[in-house]
Amino acid sequence: MKENQKNDTIIAQSISVRDASLWYGDFQALKNISIEIPEKKITAFIGPSGCGKSTLLKCFNRMNDLVEGCKVTGNFLIGDIDIYGKVDVNELRKNVGMVFQKPNPFPMSVYDNIAYGPRTFGIHKRKELDIIVEKSLRQAAMWEELKDRLNKSALGLSGGQQQRLCIARALAVKPKILLMDEPTSALDPISTGKIEELCEELKESTTIVIVTHNMQQATRISDYTGFFLMGELLEYAETDEIFTSPKDEKTEKYITGRFG
Amino acid sequence: MVTKEKLGKALFVLGAIICIISAISIFVFLIIKSAPAFIKIGVLDLVFGDNWSPSVSDNYNNALKGSYGIFTMIIGTIVSTLGALTIGGVLGYFTSIFLVFYCPKKLKPIAIMIINLLAGIPSVVYGFFGISFLLPFLSKIAPNNGSGLLATSIILGIMILPTIISLSRVALESVPRQYYEGSVAIGANHTSTVFKIMVPSARGGILASLVLGTGRALGEAMAVVMVAGNFPTYPNGLFGSFRTLTANIVLEMGYAGEVQEGALIATGVILLMLVTTINIIFNKISIGTVKAIATTQNSNKIKTKTESILRKINFSKIGEIASKIAGITVAIILFMIVSFIFVKGLPTIINHPWFIFGKFQFGSEEITILPSLICTVLVAVISLIIATPIGIMTAIYLNEYAKKEGRLATIVRGAINILAGVPSIVYGLFGMITFVKIFGGTSSILSGALTISIILLPTIVRSTEESLKRVLDSLRQGSLALGAGKLRTILKVIIPSALPGILSAVILSIGRVVSESAPLLYTMGSVIKQIPSSVFDSGATLSVALYQLSGEGWYINEAYATAVVLIILVFALNLIAELTVKGLSKRLKGDTNEGKSKK
Ligand SMILES: Nc1ncnc2c1ncn2[C@@H]1O[C@H](COP(=O)(O)OP(=O)(O)O)[C@@H](O)[C@H]1O
Ligand SMILES: [Mg+2]
Repeated sequence: MKENQKNDTIIAQSISVRDASLWYGDFQALKNISIEIPEKKITAFIGPSGCGKSTLLKCFNRMNDLVEGCKVTGNFLIGDIDIYGKVDVNELRKNVGMVFQKPNPFPMSVYDNIAYGPRTFGIHKRKELDIIVEKSLRQAAMWEELKDRLNKSALGLSGGQQQRLCIARALAVKPKILLMDEPTSALDPISTGKIEELCEELKESTTIVIVTHNMQQATRISDYTGFFLMGELLEYAETDEIFTSPKDEKTEKYITGRFG
Repeated sequence: MVTKEKLGKALFVLGAIICIISAISIFVFLIIKSAPAFIKIGVLDLVFGDNWSPSVSDNYNNALKGSYGIFTMIIGTIVSTLGALTIGGVLGYFTSIFLVFYCPKKLKPIAIMIINLLAGIPSVVYGFFGISFLLPFLSKIAPNNGSGLLATSIILGIMILPTIISLSRVALESVPRQYYEGSVAIGANHTSTVFKIMVPSARGGILASLVLGTGRALGEAMAVVMVAGNFPTYPNGLFGSFRTLTANIVLEMGYAGEVQEGALIATGVILLMLVTTINIIFNKISIGTVKAIATTQNSNKIKTKTESILRKINFSKIGEIASKIAGITVAIILFMIVSFIFVKGLPTIINHPWFIFGKFQFGSEEITILPSLICTVLVAVISLIIATPIGIMTAIYLNEYAKKEGRLATIVRGAINILAGVPSIVYGLFGMITFVKIFGGTSSILSGALTISIILLPTIVRSTEESLKRVLDSLRQGSLALGAGKLRTILKVIIPSALPGILSAVILSIGRVVSESAPLLYTMGSVIKQIPSSVFDSGATLSVALYQLSGEGWYINEAYATAVVLIILVFALNLIAELTVKGLSKRLKGDTNEGKSKK
């Protein structure tokens, strides 16, 4: 990136998608999606495997750029800034954090994992980093658990701890939006509960979009729910509404467990 | 039935035992043959003495007239290896990063293929390139003809490049993609992700590649002899003449007196100890890689002041630039070597085709390489006839019979590791004090082939075992479930499915035979004589012939032409090996498809 090239900075926390489609080569994975995701709420994406939930999620931080032959049309706005326009993609990803399905801590110490993001963005003073690390771990409710093993390898943690560490790592760069792609699918119920609690707390400052296969999880934590099928957004409404009185027959079938 | 099964198993165990015996006898023979020298000269005087001036008339019964200290050569070996590591290690490290993270997609497979081919180029060809290109080039700035430490480090550095690049590349490619995604998702760019996450995660494997490269450089003989200058002194400056342990053996073994011969074998023992140490480190690192990734340094201890100064330098960016420069440099070097030799050598072949196939007359002006070609073929055929069955038998024992952690299996694997690590000049020594002695004291094609066959064993065992491992268990069980015995299952189902891998190992072994020279020099002979009339004749293979021609000075055109023939041969063998694997695997698959459609 050239210094003088002026980029739009992301300040808003809401996402709006207008008539978006996406192709992996010849295969169309998203079909004319439009959706408004409100700020500081939890929005859940549900739907059978392969319907495009992860794909849409990865549009929000442009992780799809890494996929060869991936083509996107339509508009993705955060506030009123087009994220496929004049935006520095690294800056975008700093503001739109992501937690993956499989925990992916780096092969470093707990401390270095969390400090990695801040260091990437130029914070190197030990004291500042100490503060950020502690704060992020507290936010992820792991400070007490981990404060004595900050210098131990992150790969030695349990699966649930690793995933919460990844959340803390994402929080360390103070994202405005947090994307979570089935963050609990590989975890035990106790760890899952902890992460759900965490989401509830984070919601006060952060917009969360979470992909989940677990209907109970969607009802427990989300404010809005979108139901996807074969690359289309079939229904999108407040979570209560979707689960109590779905408009689409297919939605009803899915949430009552009759297909998918 | 049962006896047949037992016989089969006994045969496979026999292969494994031959491997063990080979490994042990190398050590035992070298030690027995060098012990009198160690005693006569004194261990300390031999290892730490820095005067090497042997006397041919010295024997074990009389007082010594000469001095036999090899310390200058130990230092020479270590220093030139470090030089090679500085050049080849740095270039190889950055080139592997370039290949994995910055190389254009379309270029990558070609680059990888070329690097694999370069691994097969005979060391005499590298040495010859040193003599004919590098030395004249360096002589412009050197007080001498250009030979010495710098030239040796450069040539060795280039020679260890393929090893370092291939292994580091594999290490970098096996870093989980999730690490990359995790870092990019935080907002780190490609380059800082590469240098802060991917490269550190692969450091175990990269370190292992450097150690393996070190082993190669330590054990290299012929190329070093051709460019080091070879005075038995400490390396003194970049152009100071010096001698390595390997060179000492190559240079003097041919006409050594009694004590001198013992001291040269002792040189081999010291070399073997150095290399074995490196190999043990290598195995430790390879095993420890996973652990190395999991344990991390304590970053608290870095002093913040130097840290903040260092922060101002953008290391990732520098790394990116270095990687690109390294990639281009390596491409240029490799292109230069091959094109230089071809430009110089092809005209001779085109203008004088009889150079390859013409009638040979010893001592005439017009030499031909026909005798060398025939010698090479003979050595290849004989050594493969010996090594292939033993290697396959051992691999079958390891994969199909041995218990994973069984004692015999562990010993066999250890023996294979040892054999793989022994420098080829040490094999030459071994061949000299065993096979050559057995066959009447003069070198012969048979002795050479026997020596080479031991060198081939580890490669054949390892690649056969690899392809056996890839045979699906369902095939094994399918055959056993039909009531076929274990032996029948192995012979009829498992070996045929592993055939492509085995065949390619055999073809690549031919490449090895073509390129080896150090072990043949004193087991088989080094003079291009007449076309051999029996396997008890002595003779030079192509590589040895190139060494001989390039040393004599007035056959320089013929030397270039021989180098061209060697490179073409090695490349062709590599290609054939690759095509065999592809073609045969396709045939195997094709057959099963036909079978399906008929139903
Ligand atoms: N990198 C890719 N290349 C090609 N096709 C892909 C890729 N990623 C996903 N797809 C395809 O796009 C569709 C949607 O995938 P995804 O978004 O991962 O579904 P979900 O997360 O809802 O299970 C699937 O049919 C999948 O096979
Ligand atoms: Mg998904």
